[in-house]
Amino acid sequence: MRAMYLTNYFIAGCIASSLLGWIASLHPMSMRAIAFLATATFILWGLCWLLDFSVSSLLKISVQNLQALLVAGLAVSIIGVGVFLCT
Amino acid sequence: MYLKMFVISGSALILWLTPLTALDKRISWHKAIQGLSLISGIACAVSAGNIARKLAGENEIEEIKTRAITADVVDEIATSAYVSQSQRQQEAEAILNPVEQLERALALPCGDDDEWEPVTQNQLAERSENERAERALQLKAKGYGKAKIILELWGVSKGGSEKYKAAEAEYRRLVGE
Repeated sequence: MRAMYLTNYFIAGCIASSLLGWIASLHPMSMRAIAFLATATFILWGLCWLLDFSVSSLLKISVQNLQALLVAGLAVSIIGVGVFLCT
Repeated sequence: MYLKMFVISGSALILWLTPLTALDKRISWHKAIQGLSLISGIACAVSAGNIARKLAGENEIEEIKTRAITADVVDEIATSAYVSQSQRQQEAEAILNPVEQLERALALPCGDDDEWEPVTQNQLAERSENERAERALQLKAKGYGKAKIILELWGVSKGGSEKYKAAEAEYRRLVGE
């Protein structure tokens, strides 16, 4: 059941990134805004990898959990945006 | 609950993929439908996730309960095994006891009982006398008077009685006055 709820949240993340792609497709300005958001998120993601021990102690989770979250976040955005772009 | 979760989860997937793949792009409102279906897909996925999370928590509690019950049963079995073993041991001891007693009786030294008893009594008397002397010296060192020591150790109060005179004589002998 634990796997089931993690899968559901994963799907929710994928749909959310597809929604961001959809928002970006609406207007050039929204495209810029989403591109900025995506860039900022990517920079944050890289920083989290570099400062994983500090961030894990800040969030009070283990380093393995943080790394799993980061990998899952990357997978979520790739799948979501990929699905949106391919259709 | 499980069915609800699976249905919601499936509808989230359908709401995510179907408008993106199956909707004709020439239709003017396809963008709006895509947006709506994506938002409702997120809502469905999150609610399905919440239900699954709740069920996972309940399952965990059930597992803990099962584990506790199993531990209780194991404990009960171990206790009953221990009790039955100790009962068997007591029964065995009760059966063996007369034989043991006989063996012990046979193993006693075959001497004259009259000789044995006075020796023991003499030893006891000597021990109590030593203890009394030691105690008397301790009390004297503490500053107790003769009459008080005699009252403490022999239980005889000061006076001209025979008992007091005997106790006084013994006190003098023990203390060395």
